[in-house]
Amino acid sequence: MTGKVDPILLEIISHALVAAAEEMSVTVWRTSRSTTVRELLDYSTAVFDADGRNVAQAARMPVHLNSMELCLQEIAANHIPLDDWREGDVIVTNDPYAGGQHLPDFIAFKPVFAGGRRIAITCALIHHVDVGGGAAGGYNARAVEIFQEGLRIPPVRIMRGGEMQTDLLSAILANVRDPETFRGDFLSQIAALEMGARGIRTLTDRYGVETVIAVAAALLDHSEQAMRAAIRALPDGVYTGEDFVDGDGLEPGRKRVAVTLTIAGDALTVDLSGTAGQAAGPINATMATTKSAVYYAAIAAAGIATQANSGCYRPITVTAPAGSLVNARFPAPVSMRMLTGHRIATAVLMAFAQAVPDRIPASYYGVTFNHAINILHGDGRRQVYFDYSIGGWGAHPEADGPSGFAAGFHNGQNTPVEMVEAIFPLRFRRYGFVPDSGGAGRMRGGLGLERSWEFLAERGLFNGSFDAFVSRPYGLAGGEPGQGGRLSVTRDGVTTELAAKTIGHELRKGDVLSMITPGGGGYGPPAARSAEATADDLADGLATPAGQAARGRSSP
Amino acid sequence: MTSSPGVRLAIDIGGTFTDLEFVRLDTGETGSFKTPTTPDDFSRGFMEAVRGAGARFGFALPDVRLVMHGTTIATNAVLTRNLPAGALVTTAGFEDVLEIGRHARKDVYGLKPEARALLVPRRRRFGVIERMGAKGEVVTPLDPASIDDMIGRLRTSGVAVAAIALLNAYLNPAHEIALRDALAAALPDVRLTCSHEVSPEIREFERTSTTVLNALLMPVVQTYIDRLTARMAEAGLTAPLYLVQSNGGATAPGMAARAPVKLLLSGPSGGVLAAERLARRLGLAHAVGVDMGGTSYDVALIQNGARAVIAQGDIDGLPVRVPMVDMRTIGAGGGSIARVENGRLRVGPESAGAQPGPVCYRRGGSEPTTTDANVVLGRIDAAGFMRGVFPLDRDAAVEAMRRRVAEPLGLTVEAAAEGVLAVVTAKLAGAIKLSLFERGLDPRDFALMSFGGAGGLHAVEVAQELGMRRVVFPRDPSTFSAHGILQSDIVHDLAKARITPLTPDAAATIDADMALLALEGRRLLGADVLPGDGRALRFSADLRYRGQAFELMLPLQGENIDATGVGALAARFHALHRQRFSFDDPDETVELVTLRLAAVGLIGEPPEAPIGPTGGSPPPATRPVHLGGRARAVAVRQQNDLAAGATVDGPAVIEQAYTSLLILDGWRLTVAPSGDMLAEQLEAGA
Repeated sequence: MTGKVDPILLEIISHALVAAAEEMSVTVWRTSRSTTVRELLDYSTAVFDADGRNVAQAARMPVHLNSMELCLQEIAANHIPLDDWREGDVIVTNDPYAGGQHLPDFIAFKPVFAGGRRIAITCALIHHVDVGGGAAGGYNARAVEIFQEGLRIPPVRIMRGGEMQTDLLSAILANVRDPETFRGDFLSQIAALEMGARGIRTLTDRYGVETVIAVAAALLDHSEQAMRAAIRALPDGVYTGEDFVDGDGLEPGRKRVAVTLTIAGDALTVDLSGTAGQAAGPINATMATTKSAVYYAAIAAAGIATQANSGCYRPITVTAPAGSLVNARFPAPVSMRMLTGHRIATAVLMAFAQAVPDRIPASYYGVTFNHAINILHGDGRRQVYFDYSIGGWGAHPEADGPSGFAAGFHNGQNTPVEMVEAIFPLRFRRYGFVPDSGGAGRMRGGLGLERSWEFLAERGLFNGSFDAFVSRPYGLAGGEPGQGGRLSVTRDGVTTELAAKTIGHELRKGDVLSMITPGGGGYGPPAARSAEATADDLADGLATPAGQAARGRSSP
Repeated sequence: MTSSPGVRLAIDIGGTFTDLEFVRLDTGETGSFKTPTTPDDFSRGFMEAVRGAGARFGFALPDVRLVMHGTTIATNAVLTRNLPAGALVTTAGFEDVLEIGRHARKDVYGLKPEARALLVPRRRRFGVIERMGAKGEVVTPLDPASIDDMIGRLRTSGVAVAAIALLNAYLNPAHEIALRDALAAALPDVRLTCSHEVSPEIREFERTSTTVLNALLMPVVQTYIDRLTARMAEAGLTAPLYLVQSNGGATAPGMAARAPVKLLLSGPSGGVLAAERLARRLGLAHAVGVDMGGTSYDVALIQNGARAVIAQGDIDGLPVRVPMVDMRTIGAGGGSIARVENGRLRVGPESAGAQPGPVCYRRGGSEPTTTDANVVLGRIDAAGFMRGVFPLDRDAAVEAMRRRVAEPLGLTVEAAAEGVLAVVTAKLAGAIKLSLFERGLDPRDFALMSFGGAGGLHAVEVAQELGMRRVVFPRDPSTFSAHGILQSDIVHDLAKARITPLTPDAAATIDADMALLALEGRRLLGADVLPGDGRALRFSADLRYRGQAFELMLPLQGENIDATGVGALAARFHALHRQRFSFDDPDETVELVTLRLAAVGLIGEPPEAPIGPTGGSPPPATRPVHLGGRARAVAVRQQNDLAAGATVDGPAVIEQAYTSLLILDGWRLTVAPSGDMLAEQLEAGA
């Protein structure tokens, strides 16, 4: 045990470790090339101890942060043992079947040495714009095997002893659609690892290797204790939750995510038995995604005021049937795993809502509207545009849900309209709230967003990884669900609805594409909403008289 | 008119005190004066300071040649949301951009909605039919019916101010201008401001938010300036007035009223200016200026003798895209509260502020603070605080420290208080480290410059933590910002955004843009009333690798550039990128994104007056201070007793009127001829 660490040094060094992760994050943000990384902020950075346990995170994407350790442990156990990692090596993979989640996410690790000894590992995960395969951006809605989703790199050393393995890098670049952007983002990712390593070496120079190692261990213990204390404060019991993915785009029918949450003393178990079987299409999740979603939801529900790290995972057990939607077997396709990941998080939160109804909001929009266009210019140039949209938060017991605000299992920024237009052949028509889309309730769900644009190039192939068109974000305590999502394209005045999972929809100059994201669920009975709040919604056009009337008709 | 060279005044209105600093333009003699701030009408305190200083130091209002002014009026209006109701006029279809913002949350694991700063509610965000394309071309002409509709909506809404921010207006402002002219003709009482004037840069949310903030501040600042200039005229103070902007440069009242968003860091930027000047005077190339008050710690860098100016900052969660001094603020100060949670000791960011204040103030505070820790350890003399005018309750501080920190952690009271200060030191050092890191800089190359009421007791410890070997204390840290304002130059910031690959054949384009900017800069400087004829045009370029979104700003020499100069500029960019981010990419295209010009009217530096002789040197007193884990008899010196050239070896406490300095073992303090003090770590302590 490491209970003897000086509480003051603990505080000092813990700040410094988080600062090292933040320094890495700043490096990626300032030096990366794609709008995906530098505007959306689809990346995360973290610091691990010498044994690969996550010690410090830069505040970014929960989906990434809580999966990095699983990836590192998988690499160490089955691919490249940690003792074979040398100074100046960088190990990289994007393989969902080696601890990754889907192919666009490249996860890079670098061991940090002091006095000839491995003392820490830095990690940077970046969502790259394209990884080749059957659809730009990797979102191949027709994939039934991972081989159709793009280039898969098992854990390999992309740098050895400080030397970039340029042969390997060339091989990767030859297989992606926008090699220049990929290369720029990749160099930024590698540089960030070194910036984090510098920060850690400064610490060991100052305080000594043993002290830093002892503090890192104590930090994990502290987070574990805080998490256990928070769980102990929850009422013991068995709670259930469920949510649904619309479908995999290939087979008919919704896919159920089932959760049984058992809170017992200072530990909890989340069992996903009863979840749908593995899908034919690419909505499957590997355990890295599933555990990451459960960890996110449990840490959020526990409401702990402590540093999120590997210590928080220790009191949590996650089980999921092999060969299911949430624990897919190789070589199941996984590119749209985020659709399922969000619903795992919302199903777990629904179970927690039974235990602590005063702190859990209704469901947020439940899906990241990821999309990518393979843009083919008349002069033969090619561009890949990747972007996403988000929707409204679920209403909280004490507050309306914010409209168009990043929630839940992911987090990130939008790409400014002007930035998109400056780089890609698109002209936006509208970016704004969708009136009446928030679920009704005593507290109203946040509104979804409309993001629509006109396509200006000769030809483009649109790929969408969407959901919650059918399975709307749930309300709680009598609140109504939020409005579902929609995707449509208008050509020559004729509007056509597109499927949530769309691959290679051909765009021509002048086509207008519109994405409508879901609103959040409502909380409490709609009749209990104050007249003043309703009047405000009408005055601000967040609700319309027509929408109110329609709701009145549909109410029982 | 008197024939004496007269005086120049600087007036810095803060939350509690209005500080005045003056300089006699012949002798260089300076002096400072403080009066309470008068929040009901700041101009009253302003004139009280001028009259009071004149009476004390013997100058008359006609002797005043120039008045430089730093004000927190804009900042306070934003922080307290004491802003008028305004409207936003924007491109139809994009009315919600202001509310959506960039939509990332700060608390990753939070389930309760974060407060979102919203300056204009949806019911007053109006769309107009028009569209500029991404190359600045007109896609949809400004619709006349839409203008009429807008006039009606603004009239009905009854607002007094409106911001006009249209998509891609940073590329072509024609629609904003046409709309503004039409609205101004129909609604002469509504103040208007356009995004292309306030922040002509890409990213619609940041530009719109900055423009809206500017609109809402216009009446606030105009009212303030009207009242101030009326009161000055009435009193017979006819010297020209200049207001200090967030970038440290001063501007005429008329310009300030049109671009009030540029005043948001008006107050703090004075401290940075003073730090810059002091660094130059002491021959320090690199310094970190830190201002530690009751609740916050402001960190700013001086590099190669100059302050850093950034293109975007934020206030209260709102992005503000105008040039401002680069400053990092963390919640750590004398009033920061120490708490034990889950066996861990935390200090701040919660602050006891001035009310209730630290426990030792006896104003109802019950939780121990940084200041209480200093009192417990004897670093602050409880009985002699503020020259004995305001004695502190040490027993109460000890008791609070025992109950809230020592007992929960199983430590002695002294060890607990030392622990609190160690955590504070780590936080302060962390803030400095991050500021330096963002530029890839090493703390050991910097001197620490400490000012503000609470900084002196922590500065040497922070420096030691970071491996910095020099700490500078200005002669009078408590009016240091006013001192800086006194030296503020008049600055007009101009920019030309045009993405240009840095190839040899780009030289002609860049050179032509420089010539246009220079012309405009000279025109603006021509309209200023300056004491002398000093003028300077300072060009800089924002550069990045193709595809990057963030630029590094590099200064340019002279007013022209040729192909060789362009090549040299690209080479400097590669080197700087490597220095800051550990890598460069020499094969990649470097782009010039924005060409900037600071057209500067030089105020001119008055001579420096040395400090006068002291009235002898009384024998040094000692006081028990707990230091490094044990009680020691530590020398206590009064700053007034230290003549130029005097040295004091640590451990020692130097007491000033409103603050104290702590010098540690292995450090030696030397008093400069100007009265500023430099503490250096002796080699043996390395």
